[in-house]
Amino acid sequence: MDEEKRIGVFICHCGTNIAGVIDVKELAEYAKTLPNVAHAQDYTYMCSTPGQAMIRDSIKEHNLNGTVVAACSPRLHEPTFRKATEEGGVNSFLFSMANIREQDTWVHMEEPEKAMEKAKDVVRMEVARASMLEPLTPKTVPVEKAALVIGAGIAGIQASLELADAGIKTYLVEKEPSIGGNMSRLDKTFPTLDCSQCILTPKMVDVERNPNIELMTYSEVEDVSGYIGNFDVTIRQKSRYVYEDKCNGCGKCQEVCPVSRPNEFDLGLMPRKAAYVPFPQAVPLKFTIDMDSCIKCDLCKGEEACGDLEAIDFDKPDELTTVKVGSIIVATGFDMYDVERKEEWGYKVFDNVVTGIEMERLISASGPTGGNIIRPSDGQKPKSVGFVLCAGSRDQDEEDGAKPYCSRVCCMYSLKHAHQLIEKIPGCVPYLFYMDIRSFGKAYEEFYYRIQNEGGKFIRGRVARITEDPITKNLTVTAEDTLLGTPVEMEVDMVVLANAVVPAESTQKLKTLLTLSNSPDGWLLEAHPKLNPMSTTTDGVFLAGMCQGPRDIPDVVAHAAAAAAAASIPIHKGSVTLEPIYAIVDQEHCGGCATCIGVCPYGATELNEVDSKLVASVNEAKCKGCGTCGSACPSGAIKMQHFTNEQIMSEIEAFAQGW
Amino acid sequence: MKEYNFFLGCIAPNRYPGIEASAVKTSRKFDIELRDFKGASCCPAPGAFGSMDVNAWLALGARNICLSEKEGKDIALICNGCYKSLFEANHRLKADPAMREKVNSILANIDYEFQGSVEVRHLIDILYNDVGPEKVKESVEVPLTGLNVAIHYGCHLLKPKFDRTFGSSERPRFFDELVEALGATSIDYKEKMMCCGAGGGVRSYKMDLALDIANEKLYNMNQAGADVIVDVCPFCHLQLDRGQVEIKEKFGDVYNLPVLHYNQLLGMAQGMNPEELGLDAHEISVEPLLAKIL
Repeated sequence: MDEEKRIGVFICHCGTNIAGVIDVKELAEYAKTLPNVAHAQDYTYMCSTPGQAMIRDSIKEHNLNGTVVAACSPRLHEPTFRKATEEGGVNSFLFSMANIREQDTWVHMEEPEKAMEKAKDVVRMEVARASMLEPLTPKTVPVEKAALVIGAGIAGIQASLELADAGIKTYLVEKEPSIGGNMSRLDKTFPTLDCSQCILTPKMVDVERNPNIELMTYSEVEDVSGYIGNFDVTIRQKSRYVYEDKCNGCGKCQEVCPVSRPNEFDLGLMPRKAAYVPFPQAVPLKFTIDMDSCIKCDLCKGEEACGDLEAIDFDKPDELTTVKVGSIIVATGFDMYDVERKEEWGYKVFDNVVTGIEMERLISASGPTGGNIIRPSDGQKPKSVGFVLCAGSRDQDEEDGAKPYCSRVCCMYSLKHAHQLIEKIPGCVPYLFYMDIRSFGKAYEEFYYRIQNEGGKFIRGRVARITEDPITKNLTVTAEDTLLGTPVEMEVDMVVLANAVVPAESTQKLKTLLTLSNSPDGWLLEAHPKLNPMSTTTDGVFLAGMCQGPRDIPDVVAHAAAAAAAASIPIHKGSVTLEPIYAIVDQEHCGGCATCIGVCPYGATELNEVDSKLVASVNEAKCKGCGTCGSACPSGAIKMQHFTNEQIMSEIEAFAQGW
Repeated sequence: MKEYNFFLGCIAPNRYPGIEASAVKTSRKFDIELRDFKGASCCPAPGAFGSMDVNAWLALGARNICLSEKEGKDIALICNGCYKSLFEANHRLKADPAMREKVNSILANIDYEFQGSVEVRHLIDILYNDVGPEKVKESVEVPLTGLNVAIHYGCHLLKPKFDRTFGSSERPRFFDELVEALGATSIDYKEKMMCCGAGGGVRSYKMDLALDIANEKLYNMNQAGADVIVDVCPFCHLQLDRGQVEIKEKFGDVYNLPVLHYNQLLGMAQGMNPEELGLDAHEISVEPLLAKIL
């Protein structure tokens, strides 16, 4: 610090983004007048190759020992200019970025004079800060060559297969007794109409057979500690009350079980026993005993049932397993919006109002009706079916928990349902009440035309209400046809509510364990919405599929593969470099009050006994450099590297000089 | 004893004085005193005023509320239209400081200021939430056993849902419970939550349409075997009672379904005589009903 500070200031025009609003030459001249500035210049694009070379060469030519680039947001080009500074022979942390684009010329383009004033303030502040910066060295830590995937729907399955095929040991954790997720509930997939189970089950079998995948079903993540490259994960394997290694899947326990319960897999449309597999193609084909409904009659253990296999044990406890992994993929999917809250549509009040996913089960050959589409009130085949699209999506009604976003799958699966009704029930007419038909994917618009030609009727308007004739149980759908500009009332035999997809309830706990956040719509937040939709702000934790937002199967598969690729990078590199922007505790001054433990959102602070005195320390790998502990520390013992009190105070002082 | 300023509105005192009388008399059984509300004006009518100028509508409503604030009394009322105007004015002005400032700048012309210090309650809300169906049941002297009641909630009582506190706007139960507390049966009928046809200025502007809607509603009630229609709004009351005479003239359909405000039905159950409840002022004769009850 005693060395004389020689700062170089580089002003970017960013084409006309900056130079079109303020006089960049004047700003460069102004910078030259600031203390410690040894050199200042402007250039059209500082981020270009010649721009970077200018920084590198200027450092040498003017013997600089610090740099400031006044350009865009550090989120975009901080790494670029750090590298250029490094190439000039100066520690990359002696560089500071002045944002005069996003926070200045873009937002103040109507007031160029004030924008100029603000640009001067920002440059002056960053020069002051750069004068106080200290050289830092990034740390490198080794990475465990294993990954964890949470959730085994199509997203988790795809991600696990990709990782395993890349030679990475993968733990796949699923809370349900079988893998497969919601995709295994579907009958056919749009727009190709291939059978969902037929394309999914080969992948499910691959998961079971892949030597690199360790499948843990009926299991939940209990605890996560550690950081990228070195996560310690505790997994609770809930007791099936059946030894998986002994169970051969013969199903005799199920045959003799006298208990009958609604099967969750079939959304309660079909019964299951207390000893059950959720569906015939379940992977693993191991039976589970639902202890909440088991009456302990012991029939399943008898001679005619499990008998000598002795696979059933009512006292089998849950097991806790700890695994060490380098990266984690969250693939926890979605729930369906509770459309009962939309009272005007009468779901669960009128027998013949069903949801889209219930319709899937009614169409499915493995469903409660063996694939015969019947209406629940009387078992008759419906001759007219109304579809309510956007049932809870694209809806501002917060009172009813509806969602403002588009759920992205409902238009297409409703079109598919319309096709299947026409195909399976001669003379059946589907009426689709829609706002817009969003057939956005490959071959989707063509599918829309196809259903129109097949006889699907489309009414552009939201359904205001549905009423039931108490005797016939027929339904009257009321809407406004916004193309004709007139109210319409239509009597139909059955109504399908294409209800919205919503963030899964089970994801909430994981959010805390993995320090993830969500966007305002409730879905997990990605690192960048466009350029990094599969990463999170927690290093080493990635997102696959619907947990990040509504998407259809092809998009889920692509997203999952992208997450797997991203998650494999640190594992294949074998080590990761950690930003040195973390807090350090001056243990001489630390009073051991534990204030920092409570405030740290990342669980990076801990209290240890050193020389029979309690003192705090910060786990450098877990620390994200937010500075909360530093500002909370009552004895000023915590120093936030790269954002020290002195550095921040120097900025504030420099700002105050402009007043 | 709880005292309220009793906001009468326009239709009840002018067309159906029995509604006013029954409200005052039945409430006394629960130690509730509905006092004369001095200086109150029209609410004003939510459809006619609210559709034209929201600020004027709110300011006129707020003036009535201010009067009651000066006396430190909550307001009770027996009309869904008054409820919409006064409850919403009170609710919105309490919640929205900007709107409150705007309305207060209008009220400043008469040296009034909205404080937000009182509540506006529909009597049916007071009966259900403060008195409760159990106590209502205890007050019954003549149980209305075997009486089939077609309940008409009325739109403004429940909607818009975000501006109300009753919960379900499509399948509410509180009114049904209060009717059942009297020993009567609340029957289900087709499109129970349908509008009476009068509100929103329709009855004044397009009588044919208003009566067509009422006719459908009456048909559905009649089909379901109703002995009597029970409402909590004088305007719905007018539409369903007087409307039957008009429908007979216009469409030739005859129902002869007696129409009672809930407080009139409550009065019957509490053993009051039809004259003191003003039942003789109704267009559709209540005689068949009286024969059935007494």
